[in-house]
Amino acid sequence: MAASSSAGRVLTLCKQFQNVFRISSAINTKHCTATLTRCQPHLYRETSPLAALSWCSPVSAVSQCRALHTTVSRRGLDEFFDLPENWGEENVKSGAPWTAKHLRTKSNEDLHKLWYVLLKEKNMLLSLEQESRRQRLQMPSPERLKKVSRSMFRLETVVKERETALRLLQTGQEKGRPGAWRRNIFGYTYWYRYKEYAIPWYMNKRYKRKRFFTPKFVQPHIRLRLEKHLRGKAREASLQRGNRSKLKEKFPQMKVSAS
Amino acid sequence: MPVTRLLYPLYQLGNPQLRIFRPNWFLTLVRPGKEQPPDTVQFRTPMEMTKYDIKNYLENIYNVPVGAVRTRIQFGSNKKRNHRNQKIKQPDYKVAYVQLAQGQTFSFPDVFPEKDKTPEEGSMEEMKQKYMEDEEQRQKLDPRRGGVTDWFGL
Repeated sequence: MAASSSAGRVLTLCKQFQNVFRISSAINTKHCTATLTRCQPHLYRETSPLAALSWCSPVSAVSQCRALHTTVSRRGLDEFFDLPENWGEENVKSGAPWTAKHLRTKSNEDLHKLWYVLLKEKNMLLSLEQESRRQRLQMPSPERLKKVSRSMFRLETVVKERETALRLLQTGQEKGRPGAWRRNIFGYTYWYRYKEYAIPWYMNKRYKRKRFFTPKFVQPHIRLRLEKHLRGKAREASLQRGNRSKLKEKFPQMKVSAS
Repeated sequence: MPVTRLLYPLYQLGNPQLRIFRPNWFLTLVRPGKEQPPDTVQFRTPMEMTKYDIKNYLENIYNVPVGAVRTRIQFGSNKKRNHRNQKIKQPDYKVAYVQLAQGQTFSFPDVFPEKDKTPEEGSMEEMKQKYMEDEEQRQKLDPRRGGVTDWFGL
């Protein structure tokens, strides 16, 4: 029963284990998840320090990792809290966050499952944080939140990469959401991303108020803006030139980097 | 780590049910401020989640049988001011009161129990503690002075 949660803990925060392995009863930093599934839950609880060591020693390479399997958790609302052994501890050990490089080796099903494992872990940490604020105590190991957030962000980037690759191969479209270059009222050209509407644009009053063209009376303003920009650029360039000449005066042998 | 704004597809009558893969919503289980009935669990949810969203979330991800969900939006105060006298807004959040089905009850556990902090023999923590105690003892003045500080001569 607890294995799924410990699997969750390991999955969320495992990457490569470091040398010394002081394994607390709850969280192990481990690389290979396959061995976890082979252990029965009650065995894992009892022999956790030794078992973990015996798992860890032969496993060190990424290639030995197999597909991730997690059981459907049956703990319900207890999953919003840590394992009971960690209640009241000051430091809870956790491993390194997932890197994008590591996540790219995983299959889509694995990433999908991992997302939910990370989600549940984050929910647990947020609940713990709120409770610690309520009780006016320090939350044990708050760095776990950052680790989980970063892992989730990297997972999302990996999934997006795969989706773009697939889209490019199948349809040749670079972007998932269609868009176009448009000028707004102020004369700026920007990438407008299309939005879905139930009615066509010529029937949409709010859309028509937006005006994707530059009226004629805005031209003087655009010209003034351009002049200001050019003046600023010229000012900066002359400043750089002045600085360089002063330095050259003081240090004649100075080599100026090409910038 | 910002997440770009998600655009959900427009729903019109007859469209297939919207399914969300990898939801980016996080629920926080909180201790209720006021006394709640035994089957009620209190959550803080993101503002975009609806009652149906919360029900499906809990049922599918946590396998928790959900009876009824009631939500309200808690206004985050805009009263505090910083050193520049600018108003500081605390973020708004949605509170969901979830009633469990099948007669289940839930009581918020004590997540910070008092634990005996004595370190075991021969460990690093024990040595550290001993060292700290010795240091403190050394810093203390002579007890025969009766609490008088060192500033006073004699």
